[in-house]
Amino acid sequence: MTESTPSAVDTAGEETEAERRARFERDALQYVDQLYSAAMRMTRNPQDAEDLVQEAYTKAYSAFHQYKPGTNLKAWLYRILTNTYINIYRKKQRQPHQANTDTVEDWQMAQAAEHTSSGLRSAEAEALDHLPDSDVKNALQQIPEEFRLAVYFSDVEGFAYKEIAEILNIPIGTVMSRLHRGRKLLRNLLADYARERGFQRGEARS
Amino acid sequence: MSEKTTDCADCDDTEHAARLARIYEYLDGALSYEDIEEVRAHLDGCPECASDYDLECLIRTAVRRSCVERAPETLKITIMEKISRIRVEAGHEPG
Repeated sequence: MTESTPSAVDTAGEETEAERRARFERDALQYVDQLYSAAMRMTRNPQDAEDLVQEAYTKAYSAFHQYKPGTNLKAWLYRILTNTYINIYRKKQRQPHQANTDTVEDWQMAQAAEHTSSGLRSAEAEALDHLPDSDVKNALQQIPEEFRLAVYFSDVEGFAYKEIAEILNIPIGTVMSRLHRGRKLLRNLLADYARERGFQRGEARS
Repeated sequence: MSEKTTDCADCDDTEHAARLARIYEYLDGALSYEDIEEVRAHLDGCPECASDYDLECLIRTAVRRSCVERAPETLKITIMEKISRIRVEAGHEPG
């Protein structure tokens, strides 16, 4: 229990403010682009996304002593980001187009459930490679938020179900069902975009 | 190794949905070793599911590709400034 060995692991106790700040800058700030990308999918506009990320990092720094070295720092930051978003921004914003997050239109849900694979087929699948990023983002944006965040965390960040469960503070089973439903909705929406772009069978390479 | 290469040509919607769920879990890295083998064997013998699998891969690639944003250059600096300022006032947990 002496101080003789400068152990890098025991950071919580004797670290100075400056050291802590340096460690935070080095370890946590490297994810700023990722958190910003996620924040863009949450808030839909650059200024709010910036504010949200700033707020999340501020909270993260205040709570940095609670972070256990060796555990997934990125997931920890995402959890703070998500909580910040839910607690502050979503309540504040109350944007009309976010109102139906919890209740997916019945027809939309039914469609997704019944035509699991008819959304996109090979010719249109090829069109996916040519879809502009804006279409994909718009499609994502049209999925109810709970589903969208789960899909985002899984597909973009590659988080495991367990990590997503922790980030969103929901049971793993709920993660799985949100992913499943979200993906089906996304698939159908992307099919719509592909068709709108005129990529129909055989016309994918025009 | 399973010698039967069943495909999903005759699957009803429910069965197909279950297969698709399996493909999602496979891609999510959420299956056990045995289940992975089972899914792979099925994909080899089932054009329907193989095409769903390809499609799902494409969708995920498109999503990943589309969602990459770069934070404004100034954001990191702003964050560090905020932190250094807040640190002074917040020696304790904010109420």
